[in-house]
Amino acid sequence: MAPEPPLLTMSGITKSFPGVRALDGVDLDVQAGEVHCLLGQNGAGKSTLIKVLSGAHQPDGGTITWRGETVVLRSPIAAMRLGIATIYQELDLVEGLSVAENVHLGHEPTAAGFVVRGKAARASTAALLKRLGHPEIDPARLVGELSAAQQQIVSMARALSHDVRLIVMDEPSAALDPDEVDNLFRIVGDLTADGVAVVYISHRLEEIRRIGDRVTVLKDGRAVAGGLPAKSTPTREVVALMTGRNVEYVFPDRPPSPVSPAGAPPVLEVRGLAREGEFEPFDLDVRPGEIVGLAGLVGSGRSEILETIYGARKPTAGQVIVDGRQLRTGSVRAAVRAGLGLAPEERKAQALLMLESVTRNVSVSSMSRFSRGGWIDRGAEHRAARAATRELSLRPDNTSVPVRTLSGGNQQKAVLARWLLRGCKVLLLDEPTRGVDVGARAELYAVVRRLADEGLAVLLVSSEVPEVLGLADRVLVLREGRVVHTAPARELDEHRVLDLVMEGSPVATEGSPAS
Amino acid sequence: MAHLTSRRGLLFGTAAVSAGALLAGCTSNESSDDPAANEQSAADDKPGKAVTIGFAGPQADHGWLNAINENAKSRAERYEDVTLEITEGSNDTAQQIGQIETLINKKVDVLVVLPADGKALTQVGLKAMRAGIPVVNLDRIFNSPQAYRCWIGGDNYGMGLNAGHYIGEQLKDKGDARVIELAGLDNLELTQQRTKGFDDALKNYPNIKKVARQAAEFTVESGQAKMAQLLQAQSDFDALWNHDDDQGVGALRAIEQAGRDDFLMVGGAGALSAFQAIKQDDGVLKATVLYPPTMAASAIDLARALGQGKGVGGLAEFEIPASLTLYSAVVDKDNVDQYMPTGFK
Amino acid sequence: MTQPVSPPRGGPDKVTPVSEPPAWRALVFRADVRTLSLLGVLAALIVIGGITKPDEFLDTRNLQLVLTQASVIGVVTVGMTFVITSGGIDLSVGAIVALASVWATTVATQEYGFGGILFTAVIVGVGCGLVNGLLIAYGGMVPFIATLAMLASARGLALQITDGSTQVVTVEGILDLGERDAYVLGIPPLVLVFAVVTIIGWLLLNRTTFGRRTVAVGGNAEAARLAGIDVRRQRLYLYLLSGLCCGIAAFLLIVLSGSGQNTNGNLYELDAIAAAIIGGTLLSGGRGTITGSVLGVLIFTTITNIFALNNLQSDVQQIAKGAIIVAAVLVQRRTASTT
Repeated sequence: MAPEPPLLTMSGITKSFPGVRALDGVDLDVQAGEVHCLLGQNGAGKSTLIKVLSGAHQPDGGTITWRGETVVLRSPIAAMRLGIATIYQELDLVEGLSVAENVHLGHEPTAAGFVVRGKAARASTAALLKRLGHPEIDPARLVGELSAAQQQIVSMARALSHDVRLIVMDEPSAALDPDEVDNLFRIVGDLTADGVAVVYISHRLEEIRRIGDRVTVLKDGRAVAGGLPAKSTPTREVVALMTGRNVEYVFPDRPPSPVSPAGAPPVLEVRGLAREGEFEPFDLDVRPGEIVGLAGLVGSGRSEILETIYGARKPTAGQVIVDGRQLRTGSVRAAVRAGLGLAPEERKAQALLMLESVTRNVSVSSMSRFSRGGWIDRGAEHRAARAATRELSLRPDNTSVPVRTLSGGNQQKAVLARWLLRGCKVLLLDEPTRGVDVGARAELYAVVRRLADEGLAVLLVSSEVPEVLGLADRVLVLREGRVVHTAPARELDEHRVLDLVMEGSPVATEGSPAS
Repeated sequence: MAHLTSRRGLLFGTAAVSAGALLAGCTSNESSDDPAANEQSAADDKPGKAVTIGFAGPQADHGWLNAINENAKSRAERYEDVTLEITEGSNDTAQQIGQIETLINKKVDVLVVLPADGKALTQVGLKAMRAGIPVVNLDRIFNSPQAYRCWIGGDNYGMGLNAGHYIGEQLKDKGDARVIELAGLDNLELTQQRTKGFDDALKNYPNIKKVARQAAEFTVESGQAKMAQLLQAQSDFDALWNHDDDQGVGALRAIEQAGRDDFLMVGGAGALSAFQAIKQDDGVLKATVLYPPTMAASAIDLARALGQGKGVGGLAEFEIPASLTLYSAVVDKDNVDQYMPTGFK
Repeated sequence: MTQPVSPPRGGPDKVTPVSEPPAWRALVFRADVRTLSLLGVLAALIVIGGITKPDEFLDTRNLQLVLTQASVIGVVTVGMTFVITSGGIDLSVGAIVALASVWATTVATQEYGFGGILFTAVIVGVGCGLVNGLLIAYGGMVPFIATLAMLASARGLALQITDGSTQVVTVEGILDLGERDAYVLGIPPLVLVFAVVTIIGWLLLNRTTFGRRTVAVGGNAEAARLAGIDVRRQRLYLYLLSGLCCGIAAFLLIVLSGSGQNTNGNLYELDAIAAAIIGGTLLSGGRGTITGSVLGVLIFTTITNIFALNNLQSDVQQIAKGAIIVAAVLVQRRTASTT
């Protein structure tokens, strides 16, 4: 790095919210033309830090120096005027407006001060899109009609429509497939070559290795390491900094002998289950104590299979049998009554009541157990929910807090506690570690294995192959809605599975978690 | 639901209520098959040329409007030479315009129109007149005199004036008399006119002061609510004028609930229940000021006369007048029997 | 197979008493702040009323009057609160009140006396609610549209039944119930009904599985479905409940006004929605408060009362009412966000 003064220096930034100290004296310096990566678990303070940087939050203390001058970023517009643009994880585009209108939203080229010059806006937008390597996006199209990746490009075009010197990108690759990620990196390269600095936030270490120059690691609102070389710092060290521990993927041991003897009757039997256009007929048995994994890429029908077994989708053929009794297909209630429980992929949208307490989220499927004639015994409910969440070491150890205040891993535990409380026999896990920090994963794996050891049957779906291989006893490999291979997990390795799911294609990338 | 279905026929057949609830024991059940009081027609009864009269009015969602329809229908039935083409009542201006245009296309001889909105229907009135169809404009007046041949309607200002005079005469010997007013829907022009007439009349009586005014909405519910508040606000007053007998049902209910009887009340419009209460003379309601729905019967007479080229009996002119403003008579105990058949439900 | 978790399975936590943690109190405190701010608005109104019209406003009779006037719309608002909490809306409440009140006061119904009127009003309300519920829960219609259709139909049917005339009630038992003699310890029977409906509503929402399901459906219908709740049946029940409240309100209105009229319940839908929202129920669903709704109704009724007592005219009343709605919501937002 050149010894010239940094483009941006943030020092001693503090920010508190009621009850939380989100930033506790964070330092960050960014040089012009570098890619500075920000790493940290959920809740480490990354989001708050970039919101301070983008002017969305006002810090309680600390100073921000921009090109040698101390500045106060009173609003996002103020930050933008200085040349700081932010691309948020949740894209903030207006779907009902065109690409050009979105790009110029708030600073439309105008005639006479108020007449929007549509043509000029479209022309400059087209130029920006070309620079971003996506000339095929029509500036006149509605943003709502574009794919997630294209929307991200539009978001970036919007950032570049200002005279920017620093771009903050919050997990930009999360919604992209590998090709698009390559394009993103090319764009980042172009920008830095022009002297623009990029603050890049990602969970994916390999990305940081590819494009990052320096890394700052945040933990619990503090910068535990600043300006580490991105390419050469060992993974183990980075993870250790993030988690305070030296673990990445640690899977619990499988029981020495199967929980149920080989001949024991399966608790879940799937016979010829199919849904036209989504997945073809297949059979599956899961015994008590067994964890069965479904591996496959996005679009291979994994989630659809789980949801169909659970009754959330109606199969076009086949049956689901629990404890020898055939379920009414297409009925969630029948499935739940028979002892099935689902921890869905989209926890916030599909499982949790975000405004409600942990207790109520845990008890929602077992309300009849704490009620007589519809009248809820709240003491019993509270005790039971607490017992269930303690079983899973849910943190904080307080079930009265709103579930939205929990971290991803603990939210997942709340969902598991719901089914634990219900006394379910078969647990269906769809991407159980999506949005869960690396450090919390191992704990979650241990919980799932322990539940299985206690006799629960688990059916696991994940796009992360090591997770399926490490956790499951038996694995079904899916490709385009078809079960192409079934084997004990010990007999498979990651390459073999990837070969199977991609049919010999040499790329060994994990399925991107795009939905 | 079975219970309801089985009773539905009965319900629909007997929607009418024959006696005022507040006057339990009242036995004056006059026949009201022909609500028009004065049996004399504007022209004469002698059969003449056959006339087809088109009639378009608003939706009958209020007792008075329903009485308008009934008056028109029963009057037309009396004449063998009159055929009445009556449209489905509508409060939608566009729909009413369409209905009147249909009547024009059918080439009716005369049109009687009570517009949902007088200003908005002026154009279609003009259209009918240009097509050679004389228009009798009922009550809510068109913007332009060219849009009608004859206007007949009530006198809102006169209503207030007569109510004010009646109350003034009743209280003229009382020093420092206090009067309150329960008005109708405040965003209607007619309410403002009634209030103005009332205020103007009271100016003749320096001993009387209007101490409160609240506006209800021509509904029983609002009448009860507003009256209850007025009674709470004014612990002592001598007279009350209520613009509308329908909301008066609610007002009387509130008065009864508050146990008050220390003032006299004058109503407005001329509902049957009000007439019955006046005749009974055991409550606060002593009189009501007419806004007679019989004007619809007169409009049919005028339309028939126009169609047959006759004048109005009792007038020297050959032609019927261009405008007829009805008198808002005060009905009290002395003359209530005469008006009883015109009371609407 | 896991056993359903029942009391902690031994271990060190075994004897820990269930002491409510501080965050629990924070949650309740926040709910309280919302309620307190409404109480503050109400108190301010009472001060204004007391200053401007001390004799008329601060008077037992006036208290009885305000509470009586609040009863009809209050009962409707309790039902509406449930519907909104579940993420729905019921635009037909006013029309249902009108239809129930006229159906229950036809000459034919009145022949059945007190019981006939009460029964008809409630059954018509429940019937309309059933139609709403079936259309929305099983017919897949959007609540806004389904209840808008019910609004139009019920108003039309009410007009057809009455022909626009006022149906005066002659049943003595009904009329007596609205009189001063019927007051129980100074409390008008209408207010007692309102109080009972409020208490039952509060318990139903806060203490029963029905209330939990309502909140769950409103907070996240998909999550509720995947948690094993019968979302459609719950929706049906909710519109039935709203219809039932309308039926009860119609009966109260018959008692209060001594009549049935097709114009009854005019704009109740807006008043009820406004009261619920001011009270703190989320229009998007997932959170509902009966206490807040009832306070919202009382605030509205008190405003109207103070205006009438001060002889302010309709135009001023409307302007001030709008301003107070905005002020109440702003005060609430401020107090809620600073906690």
